[in-house]
Amino acid sequence: MTRDDQVSIAIPTGALLNGALSLLAASGLARLTAEELGRQLLLERGEVRVILVRPSDVPAYVDHGAADLGIVGKDILWETPGSHYELVDLRFGDCRLVLAVPDSSTVDGPDTWPPLMRVATKYPRTSSAWFEARGQAVEVVRLHGSVELAPQVGLVDGIVDLTATGRTLRENKLRITAVLGSSTARLIANQASLKTRSAAVQSVLSRLREASGRAG
Amino acid sequence: MTPQLGGVPGFRDLLPLEAEILREAQESLLAEMRRWGYRHVITPLVENMDVLDLGLGIEQRRRLFKFTDGRGDVVALVGERTVPVARLVAGKLRAAALPLRLCYAGPVLSTDEGRFQQRRETYQVGAELVGASGPVADAEVIALAARCMEATGIRRYQIDVGHAEFFHGIMDAVKLPDEVKSAVRAALAARDFVALESLLEGTPLKSAEHELLLRFPALRGGPEILDAAGGLVRNRRSEAALSELAQVRDLLVAHGIGDVVNLDLGAIRDFDYYTGVIFEGYGPDFGRPVAQGGRYDSLLSRFGRPAPATGFMVQLDLVSEMLTRSARPPALPRIDAAVAWTGSGLDTALRLGSTLRLFGMRAVVDTESRGVAEAKAWWHAVGAANLIHCRSKAVVSWSTQGQRTRSLPPEQVAARLAGGLS
Repeated sequence: MTRDDQVSIAIPTGALLNGALSLLAASGLARLTAEELGRQLLLERGEVRVILVRPSDVPAYVDHGAADLGIVGKDILWETPGSHYELVDLRFGDCRLVLAVPDSSTVDGPDTWPPLMRVATKYPRTSSAWFEARGQAVEVVRLHGSVELAPQVGLVDGIVDLTATGRTLRENKLRITAVLGSSTARLIANQASLKTRSAAVQSVLSRLREASGRAG
Repeated sequence: MTPQLGGVPGFRDLLPLEAEILREAQESLLAEMRRWGYRHVITPLVENMDVLDLGLGIEQRRRLFKFTDGRGDVVALVGERTVPVARLVAGKLRAAALPLRLCYAGPVLSTDEGRFQQRRETYQVGAELVGASGPVADAEVIALAARCMEATGIRRYQIDVGHAEFFHGIMDAVKLPDEVKSAVRAALAARDFVALESLLEGTPLKSAEHELLLRFPALRGGPEILDAAGGLVRNRRSEAALSELAQVRDLLVAHGIGDVVNLDLGAIRDFDYYTGVIFEGYGPDFGRPVAQGGRYDSLLSRFGRPAPATGFMVQLDLVSEMLTRSARPPALPRIDAAVAWTGSGLDTALRLGSTLRLFGMRAVVDTESRGVAEAKAWWHAVGAANLIHCRSKAVVSWSTQGQRTRSLPPEQVAARLAGGLS
């Protein structure tokens, strides 16, 4: 197999990794374990090359042609729009991007928002756009981890974060007051790969599409 | 404070090898365009905002570097060069008979943040054919784009040809409320087929056109795709687009580039701007199109000289990046001779330098007097093929890699170098 016939797929570490590996196995393209991929980061199996990257890096790999296809959460795509094609809703990795405030807060619906809302988030672009569309002044504090902590120590009024079950929020005495969007895993494709290597890419694409339909 | 030696983010310096590759590529592109009768024009880096407003969409306008000039006019650094050429055709060239064939080269700027590999200053070389409509003109510009890619030395490339009217026809034909239609357009522009599918799933009426929209990214291939699509569309606009594409495809075969052309009915481009045949050129293993263009028949009328037009531009940075990454990347041309001197040899060195350059060789004459050992060290630093050390008027010593140093009269050295003898 030369680099030309092989289709490279970027898959994300973290919450979507197991779903992505099951999909690759169900489509018959590659049977890989998280352990072996974690050790190697790049594995070749017949017609595919699987690349393991950080979730937020998947769009960069795909947009610049380092990967033909990518599996990535919609939440990441909101935050990093690019030139890729978003082709399939893979129907796993369900979660919601929510606005959560401390249980004790008086903030509830839009009428109770303070004149300048301060929120901490890993999603600054999506958060600003959402508040701005509602005419709300917002100060977004970009954090890289433990976002739940920020309101408890008085840094911000609330947080915008991803939640699947709501458990982490409850454990940190936070309640959801608004949902910014629902996210699932998506299959994205590089714009040029669809054209310059279309036979190989379309074949892998249709096997993934079919496998995701069966699972869902 | 330490000065920012790296420059402004998103802007880059081109070092000698990169600059050489870029310049060579630009010259081969312009030379190919001139062979087809396109005249080179140079438009300024700065344009009035009210001129650019006529030709650019909101997003493109937002990304311009804008400022006010001394008279209080808002001006901008150009983000593309088709609109300035249109201004030229409707203005200073208004007396020139159509069709006009023009080409240009130059930097374009964008305020987009310099993300990973994303540049705020890029180089474009383009050609515009103004005043000619129909498949023959469309095919000429596509064939020119193909020959241009070839001229730069890109070995494998392909051109995808589509038609803006195919999409417009489908959008006319689908039975959807206006607000859903604009959501469909937005989803397609964002290449978001998940959103498109859920928009179309929610509608009660399903036509063949729905199916075509969903299959957009896969609607490409050889001439057979035209028949397949022809069987699915039921509207005149799309059908006319398909028959025009068939003619263009035949003409491209006659142009001798049939084997690099694919038809792509699902090409997603700026549909507010393009009015007819559109195309993109791709090189090997590169995530983005290197060349893009198409027919824009409504632009010139906004400048008061209605005329059909088609054209394209090549992203020069991508071309040079592709050449750099190729199996045999271009090398910096070697300097042929390093001419050193000592004492009374300076006059001889200067004369010898002129003679060698007259023969088309690259020659560097030293700026200071050096002895034999220092001259050798300087020769290696310059990286020249030959060292000629001038110590008197009558005789010079000539060294070249792997051979013993010879003493000869300067004119004999020049004659041998010019004759390719070592």
